[in-house]
Amino acid sequence: MLPISLLGVASYLPDEIVTNEFFGPGVSERRGMFTPPTTRRHVSREQTAADMIERAAARLIAGLNLTPSRDIDVLFTNVTIPDQPFTGVGAEIAFRLGCQPRAVVDLHNTGCVSFVYMLQLARELMAGGGGKGALLCNVQNAAGRVFRHPEVRTTRQAPVPGDGCGVAYVAASAISPVLATVVELHGEYARDMTVAADDGRQYWEPGPTPIRVAFTETRVASIIARGNQLVPDRVRQVCGLAGKEVRDIDLLITNQPNPIFLRNWREALELPPSRHHDTYDVYGNLFGAGIPISLEDAIARGRLARGALLALGGFAHAGDYSGAALISWRGGE
Amino acid sequence: MSEGTVDLSGLSGIPGLIRCEEYDRDSMGEQLTELTHTVYPHEHVFGEYCTVHAHIECPPERVFEYMANPYSLLEWTYSVRKLRPVGGDGLLVGEDAASTPLYCRTISHREAMTVDYHCAWDQGDELWMIYLNRIIPAEAVLKRTGSVVIWTNCRHPYYRANPFPEREPRGERMWVGELWPLFYAGHTIELRNLKLILEHRYRLGLPAGPILRD
Repeated sequence: MLPISLLGVASYLPDEIVTNEFFGPGVSERRGMFTPPTTRRHVSREQTAADMIERAAARLIAGLNLTPSRDIDVLFTNVTIPDQPFTGVGAEIAFRLGCQPRAVVDLHNTGCVSFVYMLQLARELMAGGGGKGALLCNVQNAAGRVFRHPEVRTTRQAPVPGDGCGVAYVAASAISPVLATVVELHGEYARDMTVAADDGRQYWEPGPTPIRVAFTETRVASIIARGNQLVPDRVRQVCGLAGKEVRDIDLLITNQPNPIFLRNWREALELPPSRHHDTYDVYGNLFGAGIPISLEDAIARGRLARGALLALGGFAHAGDYSGAALISWRGGE
Repeated sequence: MSEGTVDLSGLSGIPGLIRCEEYDRDSMGEQLTELTHTVYPHEHVFGEYCTVHAHIECPPERVFEYMANPYSLLEWTYSVRKLRPVGGDGLLVGEDAASTPLYCRTISHREAMTVDYHCAWDQGDELWMIYLNRIIPAEAVLKRTGSVVIWTNCRHPYYRANPFPEREPRGERMWVGELWPLFYAGHTIELRNLKLILEHRYRLGLPAGPILRD
């Protein structure tokens, strides 16, 4: 396979910083799956996913000195709550950035592990000659669009999500190579996460109650157990594919559903906290945007040296997808 | 039959209780998820208590009879050998780990199906290495034939330091407590021995044993 490289990442975080008081009294004391971050960002009603991607992409394009019309011929997006139900955001992004990609993929699946899935698909596409440079865009905007609602924000899970956008550039190059990726499908878990309204209407039916993101309550224990298992399994698997050992990982970045999963994954992989970076406490659960945003944060803090072995991993929704990637990091230039 | 009620004032002044009256399902969920890890360090699981368990395809009464006979230790343990009575009250002395005197008194309760081996190295006055065993009909707990054996050791403080060093004047011998980190493995192997012996004899219709030579 022709090498492809992860060359850089950039983030955009909405301006509004929301503290725990917003969600009601005593929120900071919650523990377990709903341990809240100290702060998180919320998108405003008017801010579109396209706006967020454009802001993050502008930083990435400037940082890597890209010319979009020449350097971006593959475009991937994943948006938690799409701006429009039918169309996908990719076409508008291409227009705003001034590029004409050969392939535009608005991914609707793989949620919190969509960055890894996009990386894998871009790699396969480009290895077959389907492009030279790909822009991967992750937007999480469910915090402001769903969990902020007055009737939803009092629920226990409402303080956990935060909004943000992370974008990444990968190119057919051997500079900062993706060594291996793995994404596994677990279709039997597909129905364990639902978007529903308390009055029982479908989310697309008009009604007076807000929609909520819910996990099948009877399955919570098994969802926790599978989440605990899936991410360490994928990280071990991707290390095996690349001929590396888990202990060789210099920095692990995962999706960040809550501090319990972060703790459990790192314990299972026997990695110290210093080699597992996250931004949960400031940004909350960033869903699919978590990996690129935390990656940029790690780079900015000097936690990722040139030549470091970088592992990415995560699982989606209630466990319907899990994945991991391994990169020999020399990006950012 | 009337509904069972207790006087809850009996719980007042006891801090730390987690009961549904004060902790709702969400609060209980927080406690549960905090305590649920993917992996547990060996020390966390086996640091202070060491429990092993096995299913044995052999009726519980027969397992009890065998284990309650202290001379069965000559068969299923790795290194308890040469047991003989000392005194007249059920105390035996033998050798463990090649030449260490091992004292052992077996205390069993047929009705409760428990067999506890109260042991010590070097002396028989204070038997502090206590191997607690409970035999359970597998029909009741696993809906299958045979028995479940649960074996627990508690880390008595004497495991950390020999309380009677004068009994081993040469001072060269490894103390039994130094092996505590290997107890899970060692007991697992010995419990497997117990299972193999009992299942073999039961399957072939042989006496459970142990058959003692004169």
